[in-house]
Amino acid sequence: MDKLWNESLTNQAQILGDILDNLPVALFAKDVSDDYRFVLWNKKQEQVTTIPRERALGRNDMDLFSTESARYFREIDEAVVRRGKLFEIPEEIVDTKAGGEVYLRTVKVPVVREDRIILVGISEDITERIRGKEQLMLLNKNLSEKNKELEITQQQLFQAEKLESIGRLAAGVAHEVKNPLALLLLGVDYLSSGIDPADPNVNVILKEMRDAIERADKIVRGLLDFSSDRQIRKEPADPVALFEKVLVLIRHELNRRSVSIDKFFSTDGVKIKVDQGKFEQVLINILMNAIHAMDSVENPRIKLTIRVDSLSEVSRNEGDRTATHFRKGDRVVIFQIEDNGSGIKEEDLPRVFDPFFTTKATGMGTGLGLSVVRKIVELHQGRISLHNRSTEPGVIVQIILPGIHFTELD
Amino acid sequence: MAYKVLTVDDEVFFTTLIKMNLEKEGEFIVCVENDSRRAVNTALAFMPDVVLMDIVMPGMDGGDVVAQFQSYPELKNIPVIMMTALMSPDEAGEDGFANSLSQMVLPKPVNIQTLKRCLKKVLGAA
Repeated sequence: MDKLWNESLTNQAQILGDILDNLPVALFAKDVSDDYRFVLWNKKQEQVTTIPRERALGRNDMDLFSTESARYFREIDEAVVRRGKLFEIPEEIVDTKAGGEVYLRTVKVPVVREDRIILVGISEDITERIRGKEQLMLLNKNLSEKNKELEITQQQLFQAEKLESIGRLAAGVAHEVKNPLALLLLGVDYLSSGIDPADPNVNVILKEMRDAIERADKIVRGLLDFSSDRQIRKEPADPVALFEKVLVLIRHELNRRSVSIDKFFSTDGVKIKVDQGKFEQVLINILMNAIHAMDSVENPRIKLTIRVDSLSEVSRNEGDRTATHFRKGDRVVIFQIEDNGSGIKEEDLPRVFDPFFTTKATGMGTGLGLSVVRKIVELHQGRISLHNRSTEPGVIVQIILPGIHFTELD
Repeated sequence: MAYKVLTVDDEVFFTTLIKMNLEKEGEFIVCVENDSRRAVNTALAFMPDVVLMDIVMPGMDGGDVVAQFQSYPELKNIPVIMMTALMSPDEAGEDGFANSLSQMVLPKPVNIQTLKRCLKKVLGAA
């Protein structure tokens, strides 16, 4: 240091100027007594603010920055001067008109010399560090989202596995349950033929017993239907004709509850490849659910749509546990059944396709209906989804099957 | 004259009930065999008009027994009704039973009316 002060004043000033300009931090000084006009502005400060020294010197923040920024600087400056000691701003955003926003870590210190106060500021450009941090946070957020997705997929896999194992068990269970049922039925048959017909209770009891056996058998049978990848015999069929046939089959139920039907069928002759019996079972099941859901509705109404579409995107629905067989652009036939019934509670939606899940009273439903429905749809390389209507109560069930004029997906 | 029915099923009480039900009105005489491995010998001794055969049995299943029957000229033309809990009426077809060549399949549980109707149909055709 001593050496420098031995130099001539001109040299001293030049050397100091060089030192300041080569500092890796932005340095500036304001003359507080002269309305905070800048008296020092080094190279780094030029780079950070994109304001050249010639323009900055002799001007204050008001002249150089936006009013908002200038007021902010002035506030801090005055506070620093008032307190008379070093002040650190760990992170500030400075809107440089030319270079956009930069993040700075700034230290301000008042230097008092006789009746003048010079406010010295040192700023470190931490923009990259902050941007890096933001980037990191974004990446982290993406990562945790991906992680969550993964968790959901894993849960779905677990669930799928659970269902698979139920399926594997079902055949064995069915066998073990049906044999005792066979015994009971034959026993009841024998007893009923040798019983005193004078007692009216006897016939009632025997009938109830037969019904109970039949009910148990039906449940086990449903489980068997659900579990087995049994061969289905697919034949080309006209989707409209198929739907019309189903409507005839349930005409009685529709009339009994005065359900009106709106049909919007347009298929351009595109056919589907289905096991007619099984697929009728699917449609009947869904329609019966719809009819039940409209029990307490004044004007029960079902809207039926069949249309042909080509898939614009292959989405994975919530609760969709199977890989779909569709690819973008595939020609598909879409069946839609929309009711104006009570709808399904949001918390129940993910479970409606699970075996034994039912909201009906005991004895009113086995809870196997929709699980079997889904199984059958999947055996047809199709996809089924179910959601509530968005504006009014009611449910929309959608079944998508490959259309056979265009793509064979077997 | 009563028809002779052989019932082969490892479930002792099931065969007992078949016997009790079918013999009640004197239309059928029922012989019971609970051990599938002895089915051929029992059949040869009893010479039934029709056989009710369980499918899932320990030791030897119903299919094997039927295959064995085929190698005996005395037995191979006797109609066999397979009975199984592994099938539902939907699959079995109209009237609760399906016809595959000379064999029929009847799903369990079965009520006695259906069983009798099935037996008479087979015997009428035999």
